Amino acid sequence: MTTTQRPRVPIKPGYFTIPDDPQQPPKLLGTKCNDFSEHYFPRRAICARPECLSENTADVELGPRGTLYSYTFVHLPLFGSSNMEHAEGYGVGQVDLPEGPRVQLPLAGKQGEFKIGQTLEAELNTLREDGASDIVIVRFRPLEG
Amino acid sequence: MKDVAVLGVGMYRFGMYYDISNAEMARQAGMAALRDAGLSFRDVQAAYVGHIFAPVMAGVRVMKEFGLTGIPVQHVENASATGSAAFREACLQVANGTYDIVMVLGFDKMTTMIQQSTQGTSPENMEDAILPAAFFALWATRRMHERGMKVEHLAKISAKNWNNGALNPMSQRQSAEPTSVERVLKSRPVAWPLTTMMSCPMGDGAACAIVGRADLAKKLHPERPLVRVTASDLQSEKYSRGHLFMGPVVGPAQMTIDTSANVYNEAGVGPEDLDLVQVHDAFAIEELEYYELLGLCKRGEGEACVERGDFELGGRVAVSTDGGLIARGHPGGPTGLAQIWETTLQLRGEAGKRQVKDARIGLCHMMGGGSVCVIHILQKG
Repeated sequence: MTTTQRPRVPIKPGYFTIPDDPQQPPKLLGTKCNDFSEHYFPRRAICARPECLSENTADVELGPRGTLYSYTFVHLPLFGSSNMEHAEGYGVGQVDLPEGPRVQLPLAGKQGEFKIGQTLEAELNTLREDGASDIVIVRFRPLEG
Repeated sequence: MKDVAVLGVGMYRFGMYYDISNAEMARQAGMAALRDAGLSFRDVQAAYVGHIFAPVMAGVRVMKEFGLTGIPVQHVENASATGSAAFREACLQVANGTYDIVMVLGFDKMTTMIQQSTQGTSPENMEDAILPAAFFALWATRRMHERGMKVEHLAKISAKNWNNGALNPMSQRQSAEPTSVERVLKSRPVAWPLTTMMSCPMGDGAACAIVGRADLAKKLHPERPLVRVTASDLQSEKYSRGHLFMGPVVGPAQMTIDTSANVYNEAGVGPEDLDLVQVHDAFAIEELEYYELLGLCKRGEGEACVERGDFELGGRVAVSTDGGLIARGHPGGPTGLAQIWETTLQLRGEAGKRQVKDARIGLCHMMGGGSVCVIHILQKG
């Protein structure tokens, strides 16, 4: 079965991938320090560790899975969204990626579906339409169980 | 820090003033501080001005309200810690011997920002979803998980600050009735578990401190207790694994621990010596965390202290005596100077109904988004 997929445009380039296959989760665009094996999100040119500060860094893709460190549910519409899903509010979480970074992004789902320690997966979420394209953000969704 | 004193303080009460300009509020706060010091603007040798929401040049323009004397005027900005950071610069210059008398002025109008934001700016940043309330709510959820904190602890801290604010004529939030834990819990949710009454309001306002040589303070007001600034420190974030780079409002807990260790060391006092403390309680969960990070109690004992009322007026060490950011308000630029205003009055014994008995040592703590931590210690005598 084929579905017509509208082109998806990131709200800001340089933070996450947009897979050609809509079934595939996006990955976060990060940096690895080649001297200290420290990983960062978002991308940066210089390793932040005070004892390192190396410029020997490389672009890497992070995720798409992580562990929920903390969460909240914001009782306000998501700023800049015309998606009805965001009208009543939205979840926000801190997610620990297996490579090391802790990231802070919106969550898919309701308050009662979030649990510290659960595994989540990144997904793209439409914020609004722009002509024939969808403007998307990246967020994390709790996996079953 | 040697021989630096607060010579005078003044405030324009924080509130929502759609028809009053920054220049008007700042002039009134500044003139009140000069009168309090017993000085004329002719005596002021330099000025540090802080604002967050006003346009470029606003500080140097507002300073013209006092007269055009040609003194150096320097803008200082450090988000919520703007007023505290400006105060620090003035103290350092007096301690270094560069100037004898310096004005520190903070002002801001969040009402202007509210009017502008309704004109529809489009979000283009990944961080736009992470509101300050959401960021600090994440602290609260994690603390519930790790330490068994209950939402009632946050409500009790908030009720304390609302009730302290009711005793402060300069407080933005003035509740005629005593504020109960139940009333706070019933207020509108913002970001679970935080509610409106556990969060600081938006507002406008101005505050001013005149900083100068300690011997001048004695000459100007021989009858009045001397209020010395005995320690000042400012730190930015230090990296450790799990550091949040995107969306965070303020950095790791270690920043407050390290900054407070430095000021305790500089002043030669410990947290057990403090009589009163002001913190960056933009949200109630912050105040609970800072009890522990500033060493007012051991890690993990914050909830028990709240239940006992350790940090209420009349408790072991009074925290947010003027109502804190939650009640007194948090316009931005002047907030850190409101803490200096309150601590100065308390150390002089002029704090009225909220006076802390025999107050001798006070600490003022602010966080600025980005982020930085600024702490000062003020001592009587």
